Amino acid sequence: MSLIDTIPEELGVANSWTETGGVLWLTPGPLSVRDLAKTMNMVQARFITITAVELPGEEGFRLEYHWDLDGTLLGFPFTIALGQPIDSIYDLCEAVDWIEREIHEGYAIDFAGRVYDPLLLREGQKLGVNLRKEAE
Amino acid sequence: MSYTIPMGPYHPGLEEPYKLDMICEGETVRDAKLHIGFNFRGIEHLAETRNHVQVIALMERVCGICSNIHTLTLCQAMEKLTGLTPPPRAKYIRVIMAELERLHSHVLWAGIAAKLMGFKTMFMTCFALREQVMDLLQAISGNRVNYSMNRIGGVNRDIEDPQALLRMVDALEKEMLRTVIPIFTTSTTAISRCAGVGVLTHEKALSLGVVGPVARASGVGQDLRKAAPYAAYEEMEFEVPVQPAGDVTARLLVRALEIMESCKILRQALTKLPPGELNAGESKISFTTGTATARVEAPRGEVIYSVSWKEGSQKPARVHVRTPTFVNMPAIRFMVQEARLADTPLIQASIDPCYSCTDR
Repeated sequence: MSLIDTIPEELGVANSWTETGGVLWLTPGPLSVRDLAKTMNMVQARFITITAVELPGEEGFRLEYHWDLDGTLLGFPFTIALGQPIDSIYDLCEAVDWIEREIHEGYAIDFAGRVYDPLLLREGQKLGVNLRKEAE
Repeated sequence: MSYTIPMGPYHPGLEEPYKLDMICEGETVRDAKLHIGFNFRGIEHLAETRNHVQVIALMERVCGICSNIHTLTLCQAMEKLTGLTPPPRAKYIRVIMAELERLHSHVLWAGIAAKLMGFKTMFMTCFALREQVMDLLQAISGNRVNYSMNRIGGVNRDIEDPQALLRMVDALEKEMLRTVIPIFTTSTTAISRCAGVGVLTHEKALSLGVVGPVARASGVGQDLRKAAPYAAYEEMEFEVPVQPAGDVTARLLVRALEIMESCKILRQALTKLPPGELNAGESKISFTTGTATARVEAPRGEVIYSVSWKEGSQKPARVHVRTPTFVNMPAIRFMVQEARLADTPLIQASIDPCYSCTDR
């Protein structure tokens, strides 16, 4: 059994990996992103990025968290409702700092439990202008 | 008493605009704060307004140095959504273009590093060498910067005379071995400016998730060409140079050795270039609904593209780009801590930053 195969059990997730579009996806269900980050730290996976996707209508957003484990790209999708925050993992994973800040500025999504310095925006500029569709 | 010295956003020590606020005590930098966003062009948003042909031209303009890598990564992601596979010759041409771009990028960086060391002669030597690489790229594509080589399912242009290119690679490699590498590795000017300067420890490199030569110069031996091969890299024999020291010298050595490995890859790809078609030859391209992701080892490290498409749509629903400098730049803060103020332009340059990539 490879290290990747042990991850669903480690996370306590009943789902199994599915490979699509060059990514090994695991739907984490009710698992929190912080528990996921702790497990990724434990298996020494390398954090790569978070891709935020705005869902149609009032469905909110999908945040796809990516880690690399021995050359395999892992993906974990989390859906959040409009106006709802998601926990920050910055205190668990230093590499996430800039991408959390970029998504916060681009989509006005709040990562709970952290403070932000401006990244691409300047102090006081409006959040969500760069990427969020409703801001058009 | 501490005081803050701003470097940038427009400063002779920076090739592009960004800002580094350095908190100093005397001539020693205690901490630093980075500010980016001065090159923001809204490219990810613009991508959602372009069709599958236009989006390639748009993403080629994310970066002025590794433009080919951006279209390669984007096309690889879109190929997963269209089911198109590039033919073997196209995969080899993609490797050749990617390695020429790496040479161009590394030699350009070496020139800029030499200038920041106060070594102007070396700067001129590197830029003369870079011209030779640019000539090669122009001979293949007709362009010096945006080569327009990649398309979904293959490449747009052939390499008609591999033997002529091989002779140019030989000449370039000879000159690298004769001048650039010995001078950078033995000159007291280079060593005194770089050794022990701007250290990024192995632990910090892992924690920050840095990529490319910055990671490899801190003892993190990751390279997607080996770990997750794409195009025709699986068929190439080469080494991944790794240095443990984490200082500017280590970053210089890694890139110098990578230049030699790129020449090795180019020689193999040009010699073994298989016959056949340049692309999958599809006149009508249709996308399936879903998200596809592709990763490529750019000159500065891992680039990742995530592309979402809805079947029947002319335009992507989302194109997300994570460039290598986006993850390498936060490391500058730790590299400049306890450094001499005068070393900071060279330290920030040692990650080979690309601010237009970072801001998009």
